[in-house]
Amino acid sequence: MKSSTIWFSVAGLSVAIILPFFLSQYWLHVMIISLFYVMMASSWNLLAGYTGQVSFAHAAFAGVGAYTSGMLSVFLGVSPWLGILIGIISAALLGLGLGVLCIRMGGIYLSLTTLGFSEIIRIIITNEDNWTRGTMGLQTPGLFVEYSKTGYYFIFLAVAVAIGVVIYKLIHSEWGLTMRAVLNDEIAASASGINTINVRLLAFTFTSAIAGLAGGLYGHYLMLVTPDIPSLGQMFLVLAMAVIGGMGSFAGPIVGSFVLEILSEYIREWGEYHVLIFGLIALAMARFAPEGLMGLWINKRKGHGHTN
Amino acid sequence: MYLTNGIVIGIIYAISALGVTLIVGIMKVVNFAHGELYVFAGYFSYYMSVSLGLSPLVAMPLSVFLVFLIGLLMEKALIRPTYGDDMYSLIVTFILSIVLQNLALLIFGPYPNKPPNLIFGATNLFGLFYYGNQRLLSFFISLAILLFIFYLIKMTWFGKSIRAVSQDREMASRIGIDHYRINMLSFGLGAALAAAAGVILSPIFPVTPSGSAAISLTAFVVVVLGGMGSLKGCLVGGLILGIIENLGAAYISTMYRGIFGFILLILVLVFRPWGLYGQKT
Repeated sequence: MKSSTIWFSVAGLSVAIILPFFLSQYWLHVMIISLFYVMMASSWNLLAGYTGQVSFAHAAFAGVGAYTSGMLSVFLGVSPWLGILIGIISAALLGLGLGVLCIRMGGIYLSLTTLGFSEIIRIIITNEDNWTRGTMGLQTPGLFVEYSKTGYYFIFLAVAVAIGVVIYKLIHSEWGLTMRAVLNDEIAASASGINTINVRLLAFTFTSAIAGLAGGLYGHYLMLVTPDIPSLGQMFLVLAMAVIGGMGSFAGPIVGSFVLEILSEYIREWGEYHVLIFGLIALAMARFAPEGLMGLWINKRKGHGHTN
Repeated sequence: MYLTNGIVIGIIYAISALGVTLIVGIMKVVNFAHGELYVFAGYFSYYMSVSLGLSPLVAMPLSVFLVFLIGLLMEKALIRPTYGDDMYSLIVTFILSIVLQNLALLIFGPYPNKPPNLIFGATNLFGLFYYGNQRLLSFFISLAILLFIFYLIKMTWFGKSIRAVSQDREMASRIGIDHYRINMLSFGLGAALAAAAGVILSPIFPVTPSGSAAISLTAFVVVVLGGMGSLKGCLVGGLILGIIENLGAAYISTMYRGIFGFILLILVLVFRPWGLYGQKT
């Protein structure tokens, strides 16, 4: 780990820990939602940015986690903590199944199948309203007996940091090297003895599980699980955060999540326009700055280095 | 009757899927904004015939042409820079689909609209049942478009260059084919086919901005079922999906119309992932 990275992490973490003592309840809420998106966008980036698999089912897996845990706690009285764990397992198993089906056929098939899967999950949830309360949303219990925003904040922070550490370790491990080899040149990678399909399958299952975890926590925080969680609109937000922040870099999706979530609080009054605006920004970034905000920042720093 | 319905709808699915398969076959790009182009064409045709008072016979080809131009523009501005990077083209067209969907919502509003029928009444088919003339006419228009596309690809110089580019881009450019032009034209043609399906189907099933994802998915299922890049596969795949959906909706459940397509997709991926007429590798 470079010393600058360590400094950034330590400084960021210290700010994050003292933050709740200065923020209003409203901004604390914004921070919690941002942390949810950090989990989603970072794990999606691990999949798309590092193994080149553009999955459109990430939000759907979050929905699987949220609804599994929500329905277990509502109908069977299972503790939300256990429910979230079962939600993670369900998302991982579905991810494994979907991955086995389409990964060997290559990237385009994965994108098409995950898009289909995402729509099907939404249709089932909307139609089976006996179990899911359809578009009305399912009211779920919270994680604590006594509601505390600060408590939720620290849980989200702890989980997001833990996920971040795991992803960072993965990217900088032998496994990360393998994944990048697969991304850069699949044929060369498989020729040098890497089982490309297993690498991809593992990444897909692992990131689906993270999405399930993020969705489970999110559902018990909002205490209302709606079909918006597994929607393609939500998927788009996660994707836009990764693209705008910078795909294929560790910090990119984290930066993107905070920037977009905070930005959306400011342009909330424009209502439906805000998705359109995010879309246009994301399109412009993908077209002119494919490495996102992180790429721009690094280039600028490099530029300064040359002039000095 | 459900069978007839299935065949009629299936042919229109085939046209829509043809638009996707053409682009995949030639450029290895999946156009996720396919359904949005369909929706735009439906609305164009609605506004031209209702607000501007044009005859549907003029409004329909005009809408298709407009979407063709949009397709050319999309290719030039956004898809061309992604050549060789499959991942980015997937991301760009997905973002584009969200942008266009919200744009449609903004311009046309959330309400379903249907352009006027070209023709009214019903015809007795084979002495068995009455069938709407509008649907019959749609069937024949679609069939004509389908034959035209087959002719275009198989018989003309344009079709030959398309096939040359899709087989070997470098070789094609070496013998003097401008593959940028071919790519742009085929993307436009793909968009125009989505639009054609849109203007033909919208008098039967009204269009809404939120309905676009289902339209894209239907086309994708047909393409995977038929085999990516295969024209014949689109026709057969479209018919199979059209028939299954209509029989399924009639005898099992209408709410889950969308699910039949997905189940079909899974079955194809399990048993014959390269599709009915696709190449194995």
